[in-house]
Amino acid sequence: MSNNASINGGVGSGISHDSTKKHANGTAVYVDDIRVPENALHLYAFPSPHAHAEITAMDLSEVESADGVALVLTADDITGMNDVSPTHSGDDPLLADGKVMFQGQAIFAVAADSLNQARAAAQLAKISFKPLPAILSINEALAQDSFVFTPQVMAQGDAEGELKNAKNTLSGKLNIGGQDHFYLEGQASLVIPQEDGDVLVHCSTQHPSEVQTHVAQVLGVERNAVTVEVRRMGGGFGGKETQASPWAALAAMTAQKTGRPAKMRLVRDDDMIMTGKRHPFQISYEVGFDDAGIVTALDMTLVSDCGHSLDLSRAINDRALFHADNCYYIPNMRVTGLKCRTNKVSNTAFRGFGAPQGMMAIEEVMDQVAQKLGKDPLAVRQANLYNASNNTTHYGMVVEDNVAPEIIAQLKTASNYDKRRAEIEEFNANNEFVKKGIALTPLKFGISFTTKFLNQAGALIHIYADGSVQLNHGGTEMGQGLFTKVAQIVANTLNIDLEHIKITATNTGKVPNTSPTAASSGTDMNGMAAKLAAEKLIDRLRQFAIEHYGVAEGDVKFLPNRVKVGKQTFSFKEFVNAAYMERIQLSATGFYATPKINFDPETGKGRPFLYFSYGASVSEVEVDTLTGEAEVVRVDILHDVGRSLNPTIDLGQIEGGFIQGVGWLTNEELFWNDDGALATHAPSTYKIPTMGDRPDIFNITLFDNENMEDTVYKSKAVGEPPFMLAISTYRAIWQVTKGNLDAPATPEAILKACGEPS
Amino acid sequence: MYKFNFASPATIDDAAAQFEASDDATYISGGMTLVPTLKQRLAMPSDVIDLSKIASLKGISLDGDMVKIGAMTTHAQIASDGLVVANIPALAELAGGIGDASVRNRGTIGGSLANSDPAADYPAAVLALGAEIHTNKRTIAAADYFVELFETALDEGEIITSISFPVCKVANYQKFSNPASRYAIAGVFIAKTSAGVRVAVTGAGPYAFRQNEMEAALDGDFSAKSIDGITVSDDGLNEDIHASASYRANLIKVLAIRAVEAIS
Repeated sequence: MSNNASINGGVGSGISHDSTKKHANGTAVYVDDIRVPENALHLYAFPSPHAHAEITAMDLSEVESADGVALVLTADDITGMNDVSPTHSGDDPLLADGKVMFQGQAIFAVAADSLNQARAAAQLAKISFKPLPAILSINEALAQDSFVFTPQVMAQGDAEGELKNAKNTLSGKLNIGGQDHFYLEGQASLVIPQEDGDVLVHCSTQHPSEVQTHVAQVLGVERNAVTVEVRRMGGGFGGKETQASPWAALAAMTAQKTGRPAKMRLVRDDDMIMTGKRHPFQISYEVGFDDAGIVTALDMTLVSDCGHSLDLSRAINDRALFHADNCYYIPNMRVTGLKCRTNKVSNTAFRGFGAPQGMMAIEEVMDQVAQKLGKDPLAVRQANLYNASNNTTHYGMVVEDNVAPEIIAQLKTASNYDKRRAEIEEFNANNEFVKKGIALTPLKFGISFTTKFLNQAGALIHIYADGSVQLNHGGTEMGQGLFTKVAQIVANTLNIDLEHIKITATNTGKVPNTSPTAASSGTDMNGMAAKLAAEKLIDRLRQFAIEHYGVAEGDVKFLPNRVKVGKQTFSFKEFVNAAYMERIQLSATGFYATPKINFDPETGKGRPFLYFSYGASVSEVEVDTLTGEAEVVRVDILHDVGRSLNPTIDLGQIEGGFIQGVGWLTNEELFWNDDGALATHAPSTYKIPTMGDRPDIFNITLFDNENMEDTVYKSKAVGEPPFMLAISTYRAIWQVTKGNLDAPATPEAILKACGEPS
Repeated sequence: MYKFNFASPATIDDAAAQFEASDDATYISGGMTLVPTLKQRLAMPSDVIDLSKIASLKGISLDGDMVKIGAMTTHAQIASDGLVVANIPALAELAGGIGDASVRNRGTIGGSLANSDPAADYPAAVLALGAEIHTNKRTIAAADYFVELFETALDEGEIITSISFPVCKVANYQKFSNPASRYAIAGVFIAKTSAGVRVAVTGAGPYAFRQNEMEAALDGDFSAKSIDGITVSDDGLNEDIHASASYRANLIKVLAIRAVEAIS
């Protein structure tokens, strides 16, 4: 409904996600819902049964002659390059070539008339292996100097020297587990062959341009022969940033060789076994501090289990280092990142991208310091916060937009922290076995890709002669609401109702050379590109009005759903049609490159982020110290999204991110057998949180703030930061157990920590 | 799924005869374990004989001081049946805590006991209450029924027809569920029976067993305090991806205390 006062669905309105009803009634189309042509082939990839082995012989003749089989693919059949590494490091073969590096690595693929036929045929393979010694843990990798990349150090001051001068010191270790993405929709690609050997790839990916690149590389063709389209994903969380390519490439090879459409969809077990996860980390530290709990020196090492290949591990480990300060100023700090190569599936991007592990490390240090001094852990945290004079990070970036102190102060009051902490102390004194814990943890999360060239985005907007608009940009929709937010931005900029903006699937043929929808930057970058495109159109339309109607610039006003030119008022539709009749171009591209950012890995210094997002949470838990069962009874969150583009979507992201983080730190335990096989590869053994795990009292408030940087409508990114709010839950449990509590804090881990001297 | 012969006989005798006549047959009741097993080819029987059409395997009745439950009765039926709730409330509660709603509406008590999963819930109740397992050939006492991991006293082709539980109004079952599967990492059923206190444990070992030391202590003094000093050994307990043996040993005592407290 148009009205004259304001548009519907503009920036700041809490409208629901554009596909909400379609998600609910089943009409939202995912890759597996696309009706396949009758002669389509279905692929299955045969996973390595060994963690590390040479392939000494391979006889696939029975596979080839099995029922329904059209094609069997091995490394020898790849006409282009046998590599799907996102960083072109050459260590991510599409199909194993002579050796296997982890259990689950694809050795060959079968294309058959049905998935069942392909799976059944694959079992007929005769492969001989010569097993090789496998590295299956961080400690084994460290002992054998097995790394995927060189170490990174970030430092300021003199950590080593000041540790010697410190009034108090302590050292410790912390083990942090990985996490499966558990997107509800698994990896899936459908490839339709086109003329001249070209391919159209429908793919569930956060990074269509990378899928395009890898498919072209594997096929040995130019990228212009490959078009990738993504309408939506059923969740991504980083797991479809680099992990979507192999399946698209195998389906594309099949389409190219057979001329038939080809689909590859991993079943859940294969998806969990064959694709990368969040990096497990091992932290060790030595900290120096004064009697007030001010940290004067910190030397910390963050070691990650990267799995068998580099993938994005360098940037992920770096982001852990960038966040090892969290909100705290540490004048003498040295943090070292080591990236271990093990014979496991290659670990990859996952919401937070290393930052959660870095923050877990420093929050452990804060609690240990408070414990040693017998102080309130929150007081110690507050005493160490960045402030106006102490505002330089260990990587040399000045923290200019610090709102952590205000957020903590507001949340402390709103959540009644002091009173509840006192009540909990009393409760614990009166209860022998059930103990309560409370913790407040803040967060500061840097926004921008730390890989500089990725900080670019494009958009394409068409206005049709009837005044309707079609919107396209390089960002992908994975349920997070990006498409809705960008459409709101365009509605605002054109000053027309949202219902006239048609959202369209991401397509490499429309906007080229895009970056992944990752690093929380989807809206910041694509929203800004779309805004710039819309502004170009407004400028052109204004110029048209000036020339056609002979008015001054100030006499052209774009009002809600109408345009005022001098004394005349046109509906937007009438005005656009008039411009069309006068041969005005009604299509525009927009391009945005994030300003101000730089980082030099050689010196470990720079400004890798345009700005920081902030937040804080208070968790209260109840722990049964006889069994280790923990229940989160109340959570209060205050989170900074700048000027919210859409409070409904932002609250959803905060709630979902927090719960996913609680899953990582409590229930979600990946268990690897001694021979390197993942034993937890289905929901029957791997537990993600559900509705029932939502705390009974769950208060989420948006912090009143605007981005001091020139971001789109002064908003801030929201995708990843709320994940780290869950650290307060882990710290609240630790308040009960003390001791060495490994993450995830499963009941057994909690019981073990309870039994240790603190 | 692979191809197999499927039959739905109407009588127990027909079912047994068909089993006898096939090379490698299996019975299917609710199929909650068998169907996934078949899908994964962990078992590939030539014949699958469905017991769901046999009327005499269904129903719950009070027979003197015994509650008799047909083998094909689902967990959901046991959980909500008036006779069970009135006479053995702890058994109804146990059945209501098995798996999830779809498992409870498909899965049967006979199927569960024939399968004898070490982490199933019923075995603890069967042992603690001193149930009798009736088959098409004989009656087996609870104490003789559980033999090894996934192994029972049932002969090849023998069909459980019903299970008789002595009425017992003072009993309680406590379990520590795996958060993902809801199977018992450990479960303890405590019953005050005419023959004394019975404590039976499931989930923790290769098959359900009774905890004699706790039974003796509780016979003397039915209180949490009386078992608090007992050390449960982790010897022979399961150690797997879900929990260590020592964690299970700890759980047995904690759950037993919870059960005693729930009764007292």
